[in-house]
Amino acid sequence: MRAGIALPVSLALAMALLTLAWGDAGLAPADILAALRGDPVAGVVVGTLRGPRVAVAILVGACLAVAGTITQAVMRNPLAEPGLLGINGGAGLGVTILIVHLTGPTGHLMPLAGFAGATLAAAAIYGLAWRQGTSAIRLILVGIGIGALTGAAISFLTAFGDVRDVQRAVGWMAGSLYGADWTRFSWLLAWSMPALVATRLLARELDILGFDDDCIQSLGLRLHLMRGILILLCTILAGAAVAAAGPLAFIGLLAPHLARICGDTRHAYRLPLAATWGAILLLAADLGGRLLNLPAGVLTPLIGVPFIGILLWKQRDD
Amino acid sequence: MRRPASDIAPGGRSRSRNGMCGPALVIALAAVPLMAVWAMTVGASPIALDTILAALTGFDGSRAHIVVLDVRLPRVLAGLVVGAQLAVAGAIMQAVTGNPLASPGLLGINAGAAFAVVLAIALAGVDATATLIWFAFAGAAGAAICVYAVGSAGRGGATPLKLALAGAVLTAFLASLTTAILLRDQGTLDSVRLWSVGSLAGRPLSVVAAVAPYGLAGLAGALLAARPIMTLSLGSELSRSVGQNLAGWRLACAVLVVLLAGSAVALAGPVGFVGLVVPHMARLLVGPDYRWIIAFSAPLGALLVVGADAALRGLAGIDLPVGITMAAIGAPVFIALARRRAWDLR
Repeated sequence: MRAGIALPVSLALAMALLTLAWGDAGLAPADILAALRGDPVAGVVVGTLRGPRVAVAILVGACLAVAGTITQAVMRNPLAEPGLLGINGGAGLGVTILIVHLTGPTGHLMPLAGFAGATLAAAAIYGLAWRQGTSAIRLILVGIGIGALTGAAISFLTAFGDVRDVQRAVGWMAGSLYGADWTRFSWLLAWSMPALVATRLLARELDILGFDDDCIQSLGLRLHLMRGILILLCTILAGAAVAAAGPLAFIGLLAPHLARICGDTRHAYRLPLAATWGAILLLAADLGGRLLNLPAGVLTPLIGVPFIGILLWKQRDD
Repeated sequence: MRRPASDIAPGGRSRSRNGMCGPALVIALAAVPLMAVWAMTVGASPIALDTILAALTGFDGSRAHIVVLDVRLPRVLAGLVVGAQLAVAGAIMQAVTGNPLASPGLLGINAGAAFAVVLAIALAGVDATATLIWFAFAGAAGAAICVYAVGSAGRGGATPLKLALAGAVLTAFLASLTTAILLRDQGTLDSVRLWSVGSLAGRPLSVVAAVAPYGLAGLAGALLAARPIMTLSLGSELSRSVGQNLAGWRLACAVLVVLLAGSAVALAGPVGFVGLVVPHMARLLVGPDYRWIIAFSAPLGALLVVGADAALRGLAGIDLPVGITMAAIGAPVFIALARRRAWDLR
């Protein structure tokens, strides 16, 4: 168990240091230490440019990973992920509507619109999948349908909107950590921390969701209430992540699998492990994106999908 | 109405139903040219019916005739072939996989073909449709293989749910690769922006003529193979017990689907949901016999695509890419389907 935790934590630290050090102005580890001691130039680079970016990346990665772990437990499916299930689509639609239909400065409202869109999409998915209770399969399929609908609505708005507005919306929807600052980080922290803590407290319930519905109900547990609360937590986490960095797919899908490889089956351990892997993945995607001049959101699927293919292929006999 | 006793006996219901299928198919086929001519009358400037007929029979070089032959006719023809091809491709996929959610859009085949086309335009500078269509075929085939391999891994084989998720994963992956290419290449972005959401507008007649033979060959093949496809739809045990070459016919069906979906994407971009919705409409009309479902899917798909495209232009006055129209119509149907059938999709 200890060894299982040590590897991702040290990887995450190494990635964070690399992200701090690498850039147009390279910083040696000594410079980063100097920044901590108050050197002005290094202080600006680390404190106001790269520092918040690293912090936001770690927190967003953790949120997405925990949201993905919840989704996979609730839906009982290793390929489920909030991004694939229409939540990102709802967030994208919220932001597109805001950008295309409101005039004036709307930059500070974009996270709020993204969050509102994600919440509405999740509520629609849960409501439409309700038919004498919820079922994991219905949730997934309705999610795919909602994702297609929001995608069509976004295409409609971008086809008829003003080109400059559309470009801003498209830039946001690519998903990136450009312009991360400490204000955004503190907002994100305030939103996500309660949900992260609550999810950790519900780790036992997540374990129990692995049994089938009849079994859970025969234990006298309130299945639909449990599912509803967990989906709410998942929405808060995914929505906060989308609001901070735009839609980033596949981190929520991949991190739980990586956590499963190197550790305990109990969610009490799996959740922090997955959160660490999520942070590593997003740091890596951001670093790669800076190298190639692409937003991180373009790179996460490129990292994620081959991994998923290999994982599924290896697990095919289970 | 009193029915003879033999019609109520087991099997009788479907026999009397099939008796209605022939005339219904004739009606559906007859509706296609009517819909096509009506679709040519609506647009930015309404053109009278007799002008259209005059333009089709004797071209006189007037402005209205040019609009009909260069703008309206290619668009309607593209809609007809794309609708019929995607619907039949969906019907074949649903029959062979025994999966009510199978369709070229949901399982990522359209996305694979579209990605290959973008790749060819951006990296190789290909712009001739006759060449692009081979990239579309290759992309569709690659996507089909990937989704089937990933979706059938693990317990229970290729369940509808796993296939749908594998398709969604692949679609997301290819969409992001496409974004990466287009962000670095503004010229390609401009030329494929409309095409990449699925659109029938602006296809010259020469492009339609270059693509249509492949699609029509696919349609003909599907109709010829309708009987073995029906046998496949009854399940692998039954089809083996009647001596069917299971692997051979599955491969033939895959080739047909790639041919149909690949050429539809090369023409109109990734139009979703036609292949999902139309076979279900056909099944509601004619019951579970896939010979009739395939035969009905072709005219119904053509009617749906051309009708929806023209109705939006004519009644609401907005010219929307057909991919968006189809998603707006198809996604609610898909959700309703998921709500109704979810318990037997595992």
